[in-house]
This record gives sequence, C-alpha cells and structure tokens, in this order.
Amino acid sequence: MQAPIKWLKEYVEFSQTPEVLAEMLTMAGIPVEGISYLGQDIEKIVTGKIIEVEKHPNATKLSICKLDVGTEVLIIVTGANNIAVGNIVPVALVGAKLPSGLEIKASELRGVMSYGMLCSTAELNIDSKLLSAKEKEGIYILSEDTAVGVDIKEALGMDDVVLEFELTANRADCFSVIGLAREVAVLTGGTLKKPMIHLHETAEEKSVSLVKVSVEETSLCSRFAARVLQDVKVGPSPKWLKHRLQAVGMRSINNIVDVTNYVMLEMGQPMHAYDYNLVSKHSLTVRKAQAGEKITTLDGVKRELTSDMLVIADQVQAVGIAGVMGGLATEVTNNTQNVILEAASFNGVSIRRTSKALGLRSEASGRFERGVDTVNSIRALDRAAKLLEDMGACKVCPGIVDSYPNMVLPRQVSFIPQKVNDYLGTDISKGEMLNILRSLEFEIDTHSEGDKVVVNVPTWRNDVQYQPDICEEIARIYGYNKIPTTTPGGNILRGGQEYTQSIVDVIKTILTGAGLDEIISLSFTHPQVLDKLNIADDHVLHRAIRVLNPITDDFPILRTTLLGGVLEAIVRNLSKKNDDIKIYELGAVYLPEELPLHSLPKEPLLLCGALVGKRNELAWNQGKDNVDFYDAKGIVEVLLTGLGIHDYHVAAGDHMSLHPGKTAVFSRDGKVLATVGELHPKVADQFDIHRKVYIFEVDIEAVVDCVNLLAKYEPLPKFPAIQRDIAVVLPLAISAEQVKEAIITSGGPLLSDVRLFDVYVGEQVADGSKSLAFSLIYRDKMRTLTDEEIDVHYRNTIEHIEKTLAAKIRS
Amino acid sequence: MEQELQSLKQLALLELSQADTMDALNELRVKYLGKKGSLTSALKGMGALSAEERPKIGQIVNDIRSELETIIQTKSEGFKQADLEKKLASEKIDVTLPGRKVNVGHKHPLTVTLARIKEIFMRMGFAIAEGPEVEQDYYNFEALNLPKDHPARDMQDSFYITEEFLMRTHTSPVQVRTMQAATPNQPIRIIAPGKVYRRDYDATHSPMFHQVEGLVIDKSISFADLKGTLELFIHEIFGKDVGVRFRPSFFPFTEPSAEVDISCVMCNGGGCRVCSGTGWLEILGAGMVHPRVLEMSKFDPEQVSGFAFGMGVERIAMLLYGIDDLRLFYENDLRFLKQF
Repeated sequence: MQAPIKWLKEYVEFSQTPEVLAEMLTMAGIPVEGISYLGQDIEKIVTGKIIEVEKHPNATKLSICKLDVGTEVLIIVTGANNIAVGNIVPVALVGAKLPSGLEIKASELRGVMSYGMLCSTAELNIDSKLLSAKEKEGIYILSEDTAVGVDIKEALGMDDVVLEFELTANRADCFSVIGLAREVAVLTGGTLKKPMIHLHETAEEKSVSLVKVSVEETSLCSRFAARVLQDVKVGPSPKWLKHRLQAVGMRSINNIVDVTNYVMLEMGQPMHAYDYNLVSKHSLTVRKAQAGEKITTLDGVKRELTSDMLVIADQVQAVGIAGVMGGLATEVTNNTQNVILEAASFNGVSIRRTSKALGLRSEASGRFERGVDTVNSIRALDRAAKLLEDMGACKVCPGIVDSYPNMVLPRQVSFIPQKVNDYLGTDISKGEMLNILRSLEFEIDTHSEGDKVVVNVPTWRNDVQYQPDICEEIARIYGYNKIPTTTPGGNILRGGQEYTQSIVDVIKTILTGAGLDEIISLSFTHPQVLDKLNIADDHVLHRAIRVLNPITDDFPILRTTLLGGVLEAIVRNLSKKNDDIKIYELGAVYLPEELPLHSLPKEPLLLCGALVGKRNELAWNQGKDNVDFYDAKGIVEVLLTGLGIHDYHVAAGDHMSLHPGKTAVFSRDGKVLATVGELHPKVADQFDIHRKVYIFEVDIEAVVDCVNLLAKYEPLPKFPAIQRDIAVVLPLAISAEQVKEAIITSGGPLLSDVRLFDVYVGEQVADGSKSLAFSLIYRDKMRTLTDEEIDVHYRNTIEHIEKTLAAKIRS
Repeated sequence: MEQELQSLKQLALLELSQADTMDALNELRVKYLGKKGSLTSALKGMGALSAEERPKIGQIVNDIRSELETIIQTKSEGFKQADLEKKLASEKIDVTLPGRKVNVGHKHPLTVTLARIKEIFMRMGFAIAEGPEVEQDYYNFEALNLPKDHPARDMQDSFYITEEFLMRTHTSPVQVRTMQAATPNQPIRIIAPGKVYRRDYDATHSPMFHQVEGLVIDKSISFADLKGTLELFIHEIFGKDVGVRFRPSFFPFTEPSAEVDISCVMCNGGGCRVCSGTGWLEILGAGMVHPRVLEMSKFDPEQVSGFAFGMGVERIAMLLYGIDDLRLFYENDLRFLKQF
C-alpha cells in the first residue's frame, strides 16, 4: 500500500516531516518500509508552450523552437518530430539537472544557440507502466490545460512524497488512504475529515428500475450493491485524478475506471464498472461458476473456471470473476453510454483460493482477502458517483440497488481497564484508555457497568475481537516503548535440558577435541544420492519421505542417512582445494513407518563423520602421513571412552557403502553402536572422490542408552604388578581381538590388563602370517606376586594360544 | 718441617693456579690431598715431632689443607659452571619455529550461537524442549490459530508431504505439544530450538534454517514481563549497550504482538547497508499468547496468561560474527567452518 503525503493531507492536517510521520506510524504498528520523493532528481524543468517551430537551416533532422516558459521566450534546438505549435512540453532550462545526471547547458547546435532541452517521459524518469504508448514516444506532450511556466513536478503532480507501507495481515482497514489518515490523526492529535458526499442524482430513472442484482451464494457474498449512471461521457480523467493514481503507481485508463480505482484506494472498497448496455437483461447475479465455464478477463486472457469459483453473471454468461477481475465483454469503453457501478463484499477465503488457483492477483483481490468493510460499500458507491457527477461525466440515477443477505452489525467487545493494565504491566488510566479507543472511532457503549467497559468496534476493524485486541490498540497508541520492563515473577521453574541434549553437547565437545569440524547439511536430498551410496532399491533407507512441493528438483526427498550430505561436503571441499578433511554431522534422519505417511516418521539422531587426507595439519614438526582406518576407529573409541562406555565389542562387519574388508562394527549387548570403515571404492567413484575416505557412523540413541558419565572410583594399587610380554606368529586371518580374547580366557584370575604393543608383517615371518606382541599385566590387590606363580598362568596362556589359534610363540 | 710445609703450599698454589681443566684439578687434589698425597704424607711424619710442636704443625697442615680445598672447590665450581654454559649455548634452538599443533576441531557457528542462546535462557529458568521436524498440520498451524486458508499461512510457504503432514515452518508446534502434555494452567517456561523449513532460497533465505521459540505461561504474566525477559536476553547476547525497541506487529498466535529491533550492531544505529539505513535490525517476533491458542490447549485465559517469542539463529549468528551470506552456513566450506 502506498499513500502520498498530499493525499493524506486531504483528510488530516499535520506538520510532521515524512520521516517523522513514518517513524510514528511504524512504532504504532503501521510499518512504513520506504519513503519515495517523486521527481527527486528533477531540477529547473518547467512547462513551456511552443510558439514557433522552424526547420534548422543546417540540419535536416533538427528543428528550432521558440518557447514561452512564462518568464521568457527561449530558443531551443531539438531533434524531436512529434511537436507542433501550441504544444505544452517539459523544458529543461539551462542549469537544469535530469534524473540521469545530465546537466543542461547553453550550446551551439550547427550554428544555432540552444538554451535548454525539450524532455521525453524517459528523460523525466516516469515509470513507463504509467504511460500510454503515445506518451512514451518523442517529447512528452502535456495536456492542453497545463499551465505554462510552472515547475514540471507541480504540473505532473510529482511534487509529492509517497509513503510505502508493508502492512500486517490484520490491518485491512489500512489498505485505504482514509484508513491510514485515521491512524495519522490519532498519532498526531489531528482530526480526521472524511469526504462530504451530497449527490444530486439528476437522472430520471431510479437505479432499482434499471438493474437487478441478486446473491445466490450468500455464504460467500455478504453484500452486492449497485448504482446506475446514465449519459456517461467516457474520456480522460482530470489531471488531479491522473496524478493521484500515478503517484501510487497506477495507470490512468479513463474517467470511469479511474474513479473506481480512486475510491478503492481512498476507502478500501474495490469497485467495478460494467457497460450497462452490454449486461444481458441488466441483471447481475453472484453465483458459483460452472465447471469449465470460460471468461475473458480485462487483461485479455481467456480463463477456465472451476465450480468453486465465484462469478458475477448476467443472464447469459459470467461477466466477472468476483473480487478478482472483471470480464472483457462488459468493459467500459469510449462507446459506453450507461454504466452499472458495483460495490460488493466477498468472502476472503474464497477470493484467495480463486486468485491463487488462477495465478491472478489484483488490487481488488488483495483487499477482499483481508476483508473489506461491508457497511462501507454504499458510501463507496455514493463517493464514486459523486466524483463522476462533479466531473460532469454522467447523470446519476437516484437510489441504490442493494442485495445484503448478511447484515453486518458492529461487534461489541468488553474489557476491564484493570485487567488491561495487568495484562500489559502498565498503569494507564481508564480515561486515557477510553480516549485512545474513541480516537480510533470505537464507541463506548452506554451499557458499560461497573468496572466493565463495552465498546462497539468500528466495522472496519474486523481484527478486534477479544480483550487482548483492545489491549493491543491501547498499547500501540500509548506506545510499546513506554511500557515498563519487568521479569516474570511467580513460580520458580527448573530450567535445563533433556539428558539426550546434554549428551549431544558432550559428544560434540569430544569430537571437537578429536580435531573434527562440525558441518550442517540440508535435510533434503535426492534418490540418486541413495543410489550412489550403494543402497539397494528395496533397502529400507531407500524408502524416503517425498516432499510434495520441493524447492528444486535436486531435493525431492528427506534424508534417510547422513552419509550423503557428508560426502557431498567432501566433494565440495575437495573442489575448493581443502584437501585435508575431518568432519562430522550430528542430526536427524527421517524414517517413515509407512508410505504414504499416516503417522509421524521416526527422526533418530545419527552421527556421521569422515576423514580424508593428512592426519596432521601441514607443519614442519608433524608427520606427513595420511589418515587410515585406525584414525576413524580411534575417534569412535575416544568418543565411547569419553562417554564412559567400555564394555563394547568390535568385529568385522558389513555396510553397503563401505569396503567389505575394512569395516568394523561396534556393538554392546547385540545392539550396534557404531560402524567404522573405508568408503567403498565404488561409492567413492560414484561421488567422483578420488581419495581414500574413512567413515564412522554412530547411532546416538543407542549410545545415549549406554552412557556412564559418573565412573566409580577404583582404589590405586598398593602392590606392584608383574609384566610378561608375549609375541605370537599366526595366520593373517586370525584377528587381534581373537588373540586378546584367548589371552583373557586363559590368563587366570590375576591377569588385570592385556595390551597389544606390536604388529608385524614382513620378512621376519612366513608369508600369510603376522606377529602380534602383547603385554600381560598380572596383579593382586592384596599382596605382592611371585614370578613362580605367574609363570604357571603365563605357560597356560601360551599353550592355549598355540592350541586354539594355530599360533607359534616367537622367541 | 714448617719450612717444608710452606714450600709445599707454595708449590701447590702455583700448580693450582695453572690448572685449567677439571682433570688437572682432580690430579692436583689427589697429589696434595689424596690418601697418598703430599700433605697427607706430611701429617704422617708428625710422629717424629715433639709434643709441643705437634699441635702447632698439625694446625699448619690443617690450615693448608683447608686453604687448598677451598681453592679446589672454587675452581671446580667455576669449571662446572663454564661447562654448563657451554652446554646450554650449544643447545640453543629457534624458538620462533611454530609450536607443535594440537589438532582441535570447530563446532559449527550455529551450534555455538545456539549454545549461547540456550545458556542465557537456562539461567533464567527455561527448559529446552524439542519436537519433530515433520509435523502435523494441526500442531504447526491449526492449534496456533491459523486455520486452513488463513492468509498468514502465505507468510510461511510450507513444504508439504501429504495434506496432513508437512515440514514444520517454525518451532511453535513444540509449544503446543508442551502445553498439551502439561497439566492445564500449570506454569511453563521453555525454549524450543530446532530446524525449520520454508520454501525460499536466495541470499537471505534458506529452505532450512534454525529457530528458537520461547513460551512462558503462568498466573499474571504481562507484556512488561515479555519486554523485560527479551531485553535481558538481548543485553546478554549483544551486550549491555545495544538499544532495544518494541514495535507493534501481527502474528495470528499472539495478541498484542511485537517485533523487536536492536540498534544496528554494525553501525551502532547510525544507518548502514546491513540495517538498510534505518539504524535498527529486526531480530525477534513476540507477543502475548492469543487466548484461542491457550484455549485450544486446554489452558484457561481467565486464569493464566503468557508470552511467546521466536528468533532465527542464523540471523543472530550473522550479527554476532558479521557474516553477510546466509548460504555459507550450509555450504560446509572448511575455510568458513574453521573460523569459529
């Protein structure tokens, strides 16, 4: 919504600058988003009348004009060919500045001195959508009644400042200049002067005998009113009207259409004018469209309607899409002799659906969507008729035809001033509250009893329904920033976060310490990403939730795994030469119980990390090795240890996206906690990653179940331990974990710790074999051990390993 | 005898003065003071002396011994010191070489920002509540006084999954779920952080972003309480000097509603590109919980009142860190992530 300051001043006097006014309105909940100064960059351009035109003696394409600019007569050389003696045109005087930045100087053109320049609309920077095709060409020929020698800004109504509002959805009443003027009056202490309407109604026949209106869909149209105008002289609008419309960016069409638009902008009531003679049987009905019914709208587009759309129809056809746009068939043209003026009130939801379905938004539909003041319709009809009557554009037929199936009465809302103060935390007197409400044209009902105040809400304020709405009216005029600041008293509540949230914080802190950077990816992905991860079509992870209206074709589904996003982040970083990557994401994936969705999906939290490139940041004193499987595994171990989880089991495992020989699964009580592995070369290839990538995935919920952040203290040993080392040579296929378990099984009760300290594969052992070396720590809490008793256990272990694991002790 | 001792002393002093290594010094120690040393031998010869002379000569021997020992001790310390200094000098390193890096990672700036926001509210007694990202239309809209076809639904163009399910457009449904899980009219004080989704994608909009919404319900909660709480929060996160203003606004789920602006942290309110020259930055939406919203969750607006607020975490992070492009948060470029 836009409102020129001059227009506002027609209804309320104020002296504030546009900036100050904008601030006042904004702080009262009528947000001004911009202030535009029309003709801001135009200086020293005046209207001039051409009194002589002659050909330039030395240039065939140039003319020499003599112009009366009021104070003097100027000679100007021009290349224009659309000018004639008697035309009034914009003249940029010597020293003028054009919006383009051009400065006008006296100059010689082919031997003739020229003292200025004739301007086109483009040179004046007039929005081309406000102009007719003719006006866009050549020099701007102004209307004949334009005064000579006046500033062009004044002549074109560009000596104005326009406030641009970004109104909230509840303030339908402010989609009108009068509605805004009311707010201005309240805030500046001025008085709102609404236009006086005294119609002469000089036509003989009454509207009621000339036109019939009816409403079939009374639930979707609460009022449909009309007037008839006769002896209509369709023609250009007077200058003031044109300028008003142009100032708010609306193009002048003709006097009839312009007046309907003017009244809509002024009063907020959309209106429509029909060519009376083209309306079959002069009868208008509000009904639903027939399925497939067609209508060509005023913009020349043929549209097919559906049966839930509301139309205005005559006896033969739809002549308008209700509240959205009129039909071309009954358009007011230069041949129109009689006119039906319509002012109606349609259901906002219905209009919104229709305009959305047709992709057709108009000034009218926007207002109906928010809701118009039904009571105001008749005033709007009268106002439009009055303006046309005053212009001498028609004779107005007496009376109004009004189908008003749903009478709207002012709503009553009651409030208790003390409760308003309690609600706001203020101490505003009852008198001040009532003054604020009265200034907004709320009527204080005489039935108010005791503490309770009953008000009649103005019909244009459909948003005021409850006591809190009254609070808001009082608060916004009183001033939000005058309301004190306090903190909630009452009950003391225990703040804090849920256990899982706390554990997630701990996990992120551990991973940060382990050198990983956190990433956040979009929750949307594409089925192809799942394919690239080697997820089979019938795998549960391929059963992703599909978005009905994705933002781009790249993101039609919700992610079922974090790995896709992590790998995409790797690809993006590698492309930016970030070669050494250690990242993780912790977030939800979306797993439906069934598709299509009938219940909320599961949203388990997962953790997925990836390592690529160098283990350490490039530095003179750091190793230059690349990360490997054991870096990824180490991170999971550190994470689990940090969370107090020790009794997990690790074994070789499977994962469709990981290398089959380099995948480990961490589990506890048969439940998988984490998976670690090298990215499957096929998957790497499909993502176009030509590096080794090591992945870990952690099931946060499974981990949270095992967390123990309060370890029990164990007393420090009082007696020394005995250590024995053991080196075994055994087939490659036997895992270190198997050997360790064998040691533990056979180690006896005194064995307190087993540590693998060397792994060797190479010349010193046979092909297909490896050597593993362990330290075995024996300890008794109550006494010092003897070598002899440990030797017994140690020999047992050696025998057991040799027997069960095809191992040889290496000496 | 005395004569002999004196010349022995002179010789020893001379030789000691010439000793210039630790080894030479040690040799002299043995030579004069050792078990078979000259001075020791002199003492052995004392048996031949008279009873009167013995203590006198004994005294002289001890004096000489003591004097020589002191000299040896001093010289020895000097040699040790010199050795140490030499060793230290030879061990000098280039201390300007960079220290050994400990590889520490970085939390995402949104995680860090969210942690700050959560921490401030937790200190004020707020609990952190969470809820599903795929939501039912009822919780996301209807229970918040946004019936189907409400024009305000346009403000939040949604990702739908079915007619019934959508990606939540704000974390307000968590408020509804919290109220409906609570005993009616019992006090509530929560914030609900999380991911939300809207159909927008450009330099200032991401289809996924993070919000923190808050809800306070209790007996006689007022708009002044809302102002006080949010002002406290803003001063905690942006500093005491930042200006705060409340502007009337409209949200279907609150009444009265407010937008909260802070004085521009980039230009201190002078007007710049970030604040579009206004000197103010919009950072929060808030309001008193609409009575219909309370009623729909079985709370009685006659008995309790409350306020709610919502903010974008990205917006706060951008202002705190001076980040100028929203998309950076989701591009996961390490050159960006490693800055926080």
